[in-house]
Amino acid sequence: MKIKSPKDFWSGLMFIASGGFFAVWAVFHYQMGTAVRMGPAYFPTLLGGLLTVLGVIILVGSLATGDEEKLRLPFNIVDIAIVVAIYIVAGYLAKWIGISSDWVIIAATLVICALAVLYRPGARGLVLVSAACVFYGYLMKPLGLVLATAALVFVSAFGGHEFKWKEVAILYVVLIVFSVLVFVKGLTLPFPMWPEFMS
Amino acid sequence: MEIFHNLVMGFGVAFTPIHLLYALIGCLLGTLIGVLPGIGPVATIAMLLPITFNLSPVAALIMLAGIYYGAQYGGSTTAILVNIPGESSSVVTCLDGYQMARQGRAGPALATAAIGSFFAGCVATLIIAIAAPPLAEVALKFGPAEYFSLMVFGLIAATVLAHGSLIKAIAMVVWGLLFGLIGTDVNSGVLRYTFNIPELSDGIGFVIVAMGMFGTTEIIANIEMKDKREIFTSKVSNLWPTKQDFKDAWGSVLRGTALGSCLGILPGGGALLASFGAYSLEKKISKNPEKFGKGAIEGVAAPESANNAGAQTSFIPMLTLGIPSNAVMALMIGALMIQGIAPGPQVMNEKPELFWGLIASMWLGNLMLVVLNLPLIGMWVKLLTVPYRYLFPSILVFMSIGVFSLSNNAFDVLIMAIFGVLGYLCAKLECEPAPMILGFILGPLMEENLRRAMLLSRGDPTVFVTKPISAAFMIASVILLVVVALPAIRKKREEAFAEETK
Repeated sequence: MKIKSPKDFWSGLMFIASGGFFAVWAVFHYQMGTAVRMGPAYFPTLLGGLLTVLGVIILVGSLATGDEEKLRLPFNIVDIAIVVAIYIVAGYLAKWIGISSDWVIIAATLVICALAVLYRPGARGLVLVSAACVFYGYLMKPLGLVLATAALVFVSAFGGHEFKWKEVAILYVVLIVFSVLVFVKGLTLPFPMWPEFMS
Repeated sequence: MEIFHNLVMGFGVAFTPIHLLYALIGCLLGTLIGVLPGIGPVATIAMLLPITFNLSPVAALIMLAGIYYGAQYGGSTTAILVNIPGESSSVVTCLDGYQMARQGRAGPALATAAIGSFFAGCVATLIIAIAAPPLAEVALKFGPAEYFSLMVFGLIAATVLAHGSLIKAIAMVVWGLLFGLIGTDVNSGVLRYTFNIPELSDGIGFVIVAMGMFGTTEIIANIEMKDKREIFTSKVSNLWPTKQDFKDAWGSVLRGTALGSCLGILPGGGALLASFGAYSLEKKISKNPEKFGKGAIEGVAAPESANNAGAQTSFIPMLTLGIPSNAVMALMIGALMIQGIAPGPQVMNEKPELFWGLIASMWLGNLMLVVLNLPLIGMWVKLLTVPYRYLFPSILVFMSIGVFSLSNNAFDVLIMAIFGVLGYLCAKLECEPAPMILGFILGPLMEENLRRAMLLSRGDPTVFVTKPISAAFMIASVILLVVVALPAIRKKREEAFAEETK
């Protein structure tokens, strides 16, 4: 059988997997209750089932009609599996060595960035922009605003088309001065400025 | 003349220096992000939500509203001068506005857009003042069954008006509803889908999802496209439209305003839909439709009036029913909740200064925007010469600070990144994110009302069709679905949206 609309085919699969997961998880873990007194599983099961059915309809439809326009993704399903595996392995490693999960998330994300830059140039923007946010969030408490912003600006800029050290450095200085003046001094948000060990 | 009395009170609230200042800040920010492609009002308002916690509710709403309608003004500038929509609702303005700019008539195009927007804004403000109070009156009588049906209707309407595949849009709504259920179940206290992650016990913040799906996704998409811009800056000389322009445009402004106001009220409506509707209407009734796409002033006047009217009337369902009609309104509801105000019909009676102050500020804001946009056009145009490679790291910094400051938690930023990736995937699969966002915010509300309705009816599901108001919503939903599913109309709908993707 030939897939007429790859975009619909994969959307259908995505909805089936997701809806099925929500429904099955609810059925096995939460109380169903009755229509009069609905338990915590009732509504999610209903919706999860509905999403699965919709997914099936979309999937079947994708086999029948479509514009045969190709789905262009800069990564494939194996890549997704690898990314998920890296985080799971990292999680177990962390438990085994006994370090905080924050550092493990940073390390695993770093590995994924390196892999993407080396092997999936098409996904560079996607991976580096997303990773830059993750670095920012997880570096804020241990390293403070100044260094976390540096990670965010340099990593995300590296995901763009053109990367010039000098330009990005100037941009960083402007942004950090602005952030400190507006958010820390002006709006008094409780961000640490410098790394923990320095204060 | 209760309206008159209320409006006077509203202007009293809006005219205080502090509220004028916040209206001005909102309008400035709105114009700024409207002019800049790649960042829209959703991401901006989401970014600023945490900060509004420090403001009074009136000031917060005035500023956020200013961003939304300010973006409608700013978006047209970019559309006309650069041929890329600064805002999604100015997509159609590109068609004729840019052609006018190429013919050396950028000035009249910009002026028509601003004046049309101002007129539409004034009319829409009046419509809100007149239509909202009686609607809130009706909504006060709604029980859980009526609310549930209203939400079903709202979500279905939102999917019908979303572009692309209808069934995929419905699936996205359901998916959003499911994501909304993550967290503690209010009735039983059971933790649902939290997987022992303590940060998930309060559910995923709406702001975080919105920023991921609209903010980071947008940035990633923009990085993937190489930007090529041709800007007609030097040619903005004579701003004032000619007599003939006025003659051609005034009818379009009127029709655009009327259509935009109607489409704005509909769930799923708002600025985007309004501008598309108005453009196709003009093209259809024009005596010489071949003019369109070649610099017809009607093609600028109608959609620009319509998007501003739609942006403003979309506040009506939010203010009177507590139900968001689009993602921006969902964020407004978020802003109210941060302030400890439960959105719904009672807001108007309990906080009249909030409601009427907001309305009055809209009128004042529109006045400010005309001033900001016409004489200062050169300044906004300069902004366009800033390359995107400087802009996107800056946008990311503000987004991340906003999300992080919600609860000083790195996990929130991680969730934003995950939803950014999910949004990217959805964009590639041509699944619309907007219906999902609406589902997300309505998920817990829908479950709550479904539970209550079923409890009151002793488990009898026919309650949704035996109560008259509820039945009306249900029938309307079914009719909408059937109508859209009809082959003839489906084709029309696809044609209407095809213009956009060009």
